[in-house]
Amino acid sequence: MNRFRFQRSQLCIPYGLFLVCFVLAPLVVIIYYAFTNGEGQFTLENLTGFFSSPNTIGTLAYSLGIAVSTTCTCLLLAYPIAYILARSRMKHKSVILMVFVMPMWINFTLRITALKEILTVIEGNLAYHPFLNTLIGMTYDFLPFMILPLYTTLLKLDGSLLEAAADLGADTVQTFLKVTFPLSVPGIISGIVMVFLPSMTNYVVLDMLYNSTYIMGSLIGAYFSAYDWHNGSMIALILLVIILLFTLFTNRYADEDAGSSRGGVLGQ
Amino acid sequence: MKKMARGQVQEMKKSRTMLGLAGAVLPALCAFWGQTAQAGEETVVLRVCSWEEYIDLGEWDADEAIALDNGRVIYGEKPLYEDFEDWYKETYGRDVRVEYSCFGTNEDLYNQLNIGDTYDLVCPSEYMIMKLMAEKKLVPYSDGFYDVQDVNNFYIRNVSPYIQKTLETNEIGGESWSKYAAGYMWGITGVLYNPELVTEEEASTWKIFGNPKFNRQITLKDNVRDSYFAALGILRAQELTDENFVRAANYHERLADVMNDVHPETIAQAQELLDELMDNVYSLETDSGKADMITGKIVANYQWSGDAVYAMDQADEDDFELKFAVPKESTNLWFDGWVMLQNGIEGDADRQHAAEAFVNFVSRPDNAVRNMYYIGYTSSIAGTAEDDTIYEYMKWCYGAQDDDVELMDYPVGYFFSGDNSDADYILQSTQDQMGRQLYSQYPPQDVMDRTAIMRYFDADANKAINRMWINVRCFDIADVPAGVWMALLAALLFVISAMYQRSRRR
Repeated sequence: MNRFRFQRSQLCIPYGLFLVCFVLAPLVVIIYYAFTNGEGQFTLENLTGFFSSPNTIGTLAYSLGIAVSTTCTCLLLAYPIAYILARSRMKHKSVILMVFVMPMWINFTLRITALKEILTVIEGNLAYHPFLNTLIGMTYDFLPFMILPLYTTLLKLDGSLLEAAADLGADTVQTFLKVTFPLSVPGIISGIVMVFLPSMTNYVVLDMLYNSTYIMGSLIGAYFSAYDWHNGSMIALILLVIILLFTLFTNRYADEDAGSSRGGVLGQ
Repeated sequence: MKKMARGQVQEMKKSRTMLGLAGAVLPALCAFWGQTAQAGEETVVLRVCSWEEYIDLGEWDADEAIALDNGRVIYGEKPLYEDFEDWYKETYGRDVRVEYSCFGTNEDLYNQLNIGDTYDLVCPSEYMIMKLMAEKKLVPYSDGFYDVQDVNNFYIRNVSPYIQKTLETNEIGGESWSKYAAGYMWGITGVLYNPELVTEEEASTWKIFGNPKFNRQITLKDNVRDSYFAALGILRAQELTDENFVRAANYHERLADVMNDVHPETIAQAQELLDELMDNVYSLETDSGKADMITGKIVANYQWSGDAVYAMDQADEDDFELKFAVPKESTNLWFDGWVMLQNGIEGDADRQHAAEAFVNFVSRPDNAVRNMYYIGYTSSIAGTAEDDTIYEYMKWCYGAQDDDVELMDYPVGYFFSGDNSDADYILQSTQDQMGRQLYSQYPPQDVMDRTAIMRYFDADANKAINRMWINVRCFDIADVPAGVWMALLAALLFVISAMYQRSRRR
């Protein structure tokens, strides 16, 4: 046997194996099922079927609706809090931040069950506002994921830039709009990515809050329990493409903003 | 799966380091294999897969021991499948090891089998048994299994004549179910309701799910088969409750046909109806309905008899009464049964013997009682005149104790001996047990007369019905209010103009 020679590149082997077995291979299987029918022949029927049925398109719209409204609500709630926390001179900032992040340490099912009871006390009967309840549940669940990146971005913001803006005659609103906000865009984008994508498929929240409408995640499950792996795989693939497009889009903007702020403000 | 594993090995060979590592691991692995192979020669490994929490796992508290009037004391110390290993060794002098695992739904089990998981003995519901039978995936029980002379054949000696007759009279592909399946637990479906707010009459029809009086206060089941059954019950209510229909000589055949109607027009009607019901019910649920009944969030829910018993027991502890009603149109008779799989048994006589012995062991009356106590469902085992443990257990659970209350006869002979007038099986119970636990667990004969078994749907019907269900559950894009469209359009215009301005500034 040859003498053992360690190379740094060999450190990727464990992950490489993981990637091949648990990411690439399943993806190939999904693609195979998505483009075949029950007899194993190539077909595009699953794809055209998805886009020609008002019900599956409706499910896509409903999922997007939930994801967009959850993301917006989270952003509107999280930005002021993150801003205040990051800019204030409070001594125990980390303690307050912890209060916001703490719910993440408690089991998810338990939290939603508690929320269900609270909402029942407030609303009386949950069945009348399924969309609103889902929105509240999702926001409750994902808010920390929005606060954290915003807080870190705003904390790193250079205070001298704000002073310079004030010296040059900008009032607080102008300073916020022209300096603080553009500089926090990378934080906003990573917050959006962290909230938008999981809220599109997290059907456990819907189930537990008595919203019986399917979203993309539950639709995939429904096809699989009907032994229809082909349509189920196609929907999983469509979801994957949507997420891929979304990530490409946000990445482009994140890069642009990071570049422009570095060049523009720091004047290198 | 095998292909992937081989790819993994090739990947490993590329790396010298890995090869060295493999060199060290391989001998150890071989030694391990050698060991298991050696053990395999003496010990039969039986792979059993069943529902979660569907067998007594033992560890009862000492005060939980059930002392029956016939002198038997029922107590679960170890999981039942471990007791089986000891019993098999004692009885047949051979070692058996049970690998017990669980599945979540019938569909999950079917998918698992398709992926290549192998089990010897599984316990799916009747329609999945039919599907597996039709696909020739099952092994028939041996002739020895039906030999009533053998004292260790607990199943055939103790099974309820009612259940066995049901299994024998139902056929698929010219073969009766009893050849492939041994009954385990069974029950019916109905409506669990709060008697303070819902009358028995209101609850005794599937139409309750469309009753505007209980708008957003009732739940349906979150699965297509149960919901479709209820929809058929509503659509065909008039015919099903018609005197001429009920009195007809071929009532049972016709009832079964109606409740298994999968014509495209019927499916379309059911979709329309279920769409309406969805706007009237609180939610669709699988598990949460029991808790929601007890906390009072809902006043009635679609329930399986076994879960209804559980919910009533729980509510009783809070001094809150719940009742169970069986719709007058028809009710779904369901059961789970043990079947042996071909790709698990693979013609191995020892393994088949162990599998059949396992079914016999769980069918021994005292073990059936242990399971009933643990699971809360009704066993298909009825016992015999010599061993009346099951009937004694029923008396222990529901028999009248007070002498001053008015007693009533509650005949259950149809289940225990096949003859409902059998004087040995007339329980003394009280009027307030009607619509309660006893009624749910061992329904009276008139309820059993209107049961229908829901068969499996063939590929086309299955596809159509699942498509129907997905349509019911999906959000219809036409439901989006005009205001939302306007807002969306405005938001889109805003985003586009913002992006346009941005690009011009650059």
